[in-house]
Amino acid sequence: MSATLVPEAASASSTMRRNFWRGVWRVMRRKPSRMAGVLILIGFVLMAVVGPMLLPEHLPGDTNAITQPPSWEHWFGTDPQGRDVLSLVISGSRYVLLTAAVTALITVVVGTGIGLFSGFKRGRWDTVLMRVTDMKLTIPGLPLLLVLATVWQFGSPLQMGLVLGLLGWGGVARAVRSQTLSLRERGFIEAARGLGLSTTHIIGRELLPSMAPYIAMNMLISVTGAVYAQVGLFFLGVLPYESDNWGVMLNLAVFQAGAMITPSALGYLLAPLLAILLLTLGIVLVVDAMDEIFNPRLREE
Amino acid sequence: MANQAPGVRIDGLTVVYKTPAGELPAVRGVSLRLEPGSITGIVGESGSGKSTLALSLLNAVQPPGRIAAGSVEIDGLGDVTGLRGEQLRKARGKHIGYVFQAAQNSLNPLKTVGKQLLDLGRSHGVDDLRGLVREARELLGRMGLDGARVLDSHQHELSGGMRQRVGIMLALVLNAHLVVLDEPTTALDMITQANILKIVREVHAERGLTTLVITHDIGVVAEVADRLAVMYGGRLVEQGPTREVLGAPRHPYTQGLIKAIPRLVGDIDEARALPGRPPALATVPKEGCVFRERCPSRMDVCDTVDPEPTADGPRIVACHAVTAPVAEPGTLDKEHA
Amino acid sequence: MITGTGVVKTFKQRGKLLGAREVRALRGVDFSIPKGGAASFIGESGCGKTTLGRIIAGLESYDEGEIAIGGEPMSALTTKQRQPHFRKIQMIHQDPYSALNPTRTVHQTLHAPLALRAKQTGRSRQWMEERAAEVLTLVGLDPGTVLARYPHQLSGGMRQRVVIARALTVDPEMLVADEAVSMIDVSLRLGILALLKDLRERLGVSVLFITHDVATARYIGADGELYVIYRGQVVERGPVDTIIADPVHPYTQSLLSAIPVLHGLERPGEQPVVPLESLDESQSDEGCLFARRCPFRDERCASERPLLQITTGAPQEHACFHPARRDVIARPMSEV
Repeated sequence: MSATLVPEAASASSTMRRNFWRGVWRVMRRKPSRMAGVLILIGFVLMAVVGPMLLPEHLPGDTNAITQPPSWEHWFGTDPQGRDVLSLVISGSRYVLLTAAVTALITVVVGTGIGLFSGFKRGRWDTVLMRVTDMKLTIPGLPLLLVLATVWQFGSPLQMGLVLGLLGWGGVARAVRSQTLSLRERGFIEAARGLGLSTTHIIGRELLPSMAPYIAMNMLISVTGAVYAQVGLFFLGVLPYESDNWGVMLNLAVFQAGAMITPSALGYLLAPLLAILLLTLGIVLVVDAMDEIFNPRLREE
Repeated sequence: MANQAPGVRIDGLTVVYKTPAGELPAVRGVSLRLEPGSITGIVGESGSGKSTLALSLLNAVQPPGRIAAGSVEIDGLGDVTGLRGEQLRKARGKHIGYVFQAAQNSLNPLKTVGKQLLDLGRSHGVDDLRGLVREARELLGRMGLDGARVLDSHQHELSGGMRQRVGIMLALVLNAHLVVLDEPTTALDMITQANILKIVREVHAERGLTTLVITHDIGVVAEVADRLAVMYGGRLVEQGPTREVLGAPRHPYTQGLIKAIPRLVGDIDEARALPGRPPALATVPKEGCVFRERCPSRMDVCDTVDPEPTADGPRIVACHAVTAPVAEPGTLDKEHA
Repeated sequence: MITGTGVVKTFKQRGKLLGAREVRALRGVDFSIPKGGAASFIGESGCGKTTLGRIIAGLESYDEGEIAIGGEPMSALTTKQRQPHFRKIQMIHQDPYSALNPTRTVHQTLHAPLALRAKQTGRSRQWMEERAAEVLTLVGLDPGTVLARYPHQLSGGMRQRVVIARALTVDPEMLVADEAVSMIDVSLRLGILALLKDLRERLGVSVLFITHDVATARYIGADGELYVIYRGQVVERGPVDTIIADPVHPYTQSLLSAIPVLHGLERPGEQPVVPLESLDESQSDEGCLFARRCPFRDERCASERPLLQITTGAPQEHACFHPARRDVIARPMSEV
């Protein structure tokens, strides 16, 4: 009888992968808000990847039309140099999103790695790593960034992402560790050890997938965190204005164009703010689906 | 009226749960009488609807569930399915004591038992809180515990058996005379279980209660109950005096359940597993007998017609195979022949 | 298959500000489970039966004593060298809901240990798939319908079968079943017990059954040995049927007395033994451990600890100064 079963079983893993994506699709379709979130995020990614390619490296300024209010020609008006605000938002998006992506990646990889290792090994390793984490958590982020900004110019989004990521993994590490500690007591982890399965298997195949929704959520949320942090730094003006960035735009809108008192500069102020809001909204809408995507029970229902 | 054991009459009770597949009945057309002063045991597996039935006694079925039809008449309270809000809250505790399924874990871990007792008293407008504490201490003492010490303890300082007794105390302390115990001994040891069951029996007799015990374990019911009711797939398939039902079960499910218990003496290989598995909410057959999939005496009629509970003296069975031969005029519908 | 002598395990509880409290989980336990044989540990929760089961399955360390698997003493080996020995002993957990990873299908669950095995023995993928189907068939599941499912799509009984199938992937010589049916629906329990019994008979796998229900222990192996454990000490030990029919230790007698009587079918025993108080771990360690709860204690019991011994004529060992036969168990109406 096994002869008839084998081909079926052999293709099981590829079928499963297909089922997973089909499940993801089903989960996303369950609520229109999730689809909206996905569309927003795809829009931002396209904007960051393709957008700057479509625009000239130095945006042309029209000195006859500086700080214009929104019009059909310039949807969000122009800046004090007469440049189109929408184009500025688009060209600035690459820096912002690249930084955010790098930050999220580092936060999650370092945080998850340290949390998993610490929770799984326990004992001395745990003590040492958690002390380091606590110490890291006690460092106030913003003042440190301000200090760092004086010595390091953050010209590249990669540098910026690296610094923000290295500042941000503490919370994730703590959370992943406590999850690991509770999961490792579960019967299936013990069974895996009893069967002689390798530690790599246990961590990679048994523990990690169980924490996937959690990790994915943290990753998405740290994206928003990174956006706020860098925009904040640029807005405060502690970093040079060289790079196109939403934060720089906000700074210029307030301090140069006087958006607080000049109605015609309002578009200049609102455009980057809207972009940040929209990005956050997209992420919040998608985060809602993570639990269902990674939990087979909720996914298949 | 509140000072004596009330009788309970459940008639045609149907409780449905809202699911993506529509409203599905967890309890369907159940009629059951709890005689004043009796202990009734309801036996059923997971998904049989036994806990839902018990919650209906308090009108405490939570959404997405709702009582769709039928009535639950309790002496001194009337039909509880019609009670709402404040009336209902007062009835719980004062008339009906409920010991929850996970009584071992249902205490607030942050408060001492005494504090929780006082909260209970205040929320029911008890004026004499001192008297309440005295009563609680007496009850705990009756159950073999050091009352003063237990009232000063937090949940984690008490063993499983002690917590269960605290649960019983909290259910009785407001002088309720109808008590519902949901899985009173699950997760307890044999010795602790025997002890709790003895307490249930004694307290029942001393305080003059009407008691309902919900359990998956036929042994528990056999130890305490006067009457036994067996639930399967939301239906009450058999009920009658415990000894009679155990001695000569009529419904094939009851028979199978008893046969599936390994015993201490006799031929161990006589124990037989029931084939198949119990239905869940979504897999309960829409028409016909709920048990037919696993039934050794299945007939054609079982596929289409749901057997009606039919009384024969004090015993009631819902099975075509049982009622068909005896369904002659004169033998039915006499409550106490 | 596996023997143990004088196994001691002490848990240190931290918590109190001053001084750690020690819990003596096992106080020098001897056991021996033959190849293809059956043994059962019974006792109240906290008596140490689960700890001993876990030690036997290699999931817990022990402080003193010696355990030998297949005649080979474990103390002579390093942790790494012990692993292949303990792998022959697989644990079946009480809770089939937490014993399976909810994010992995049955196929993935079985695949991991089979892949390891295939790598060690140089077998093919084909073999793995066949073996997966084979172990599922052995535990009474249909591979075609079960393989692609996630645990939440299976009933409690089916999950426990998958857990057993997973244990079988490593060709174990012994299964340790810790309350393996207590979380399964009543009508399905006997099916799982019958499966364990069947595996024992067909594959010659030893079964160690840990439970507080003596009747289920009897179902798995009436010919096996029963160990009655109380506060980390074996207080009575002997063939299952002998101990059920003729228990001599008051603790065994109180365990048997506590089993619910199916009134109407059975009559309770004439001389039930009820412990004087409930189990309290903090009771003194002096004298017989059961003395405080024992209705038959005397001065000697309070000061001296009885050791496991055989009284002349009795087939079982017991640790009691005043062993006596008592009629404690319920018997069928038809018999009396």
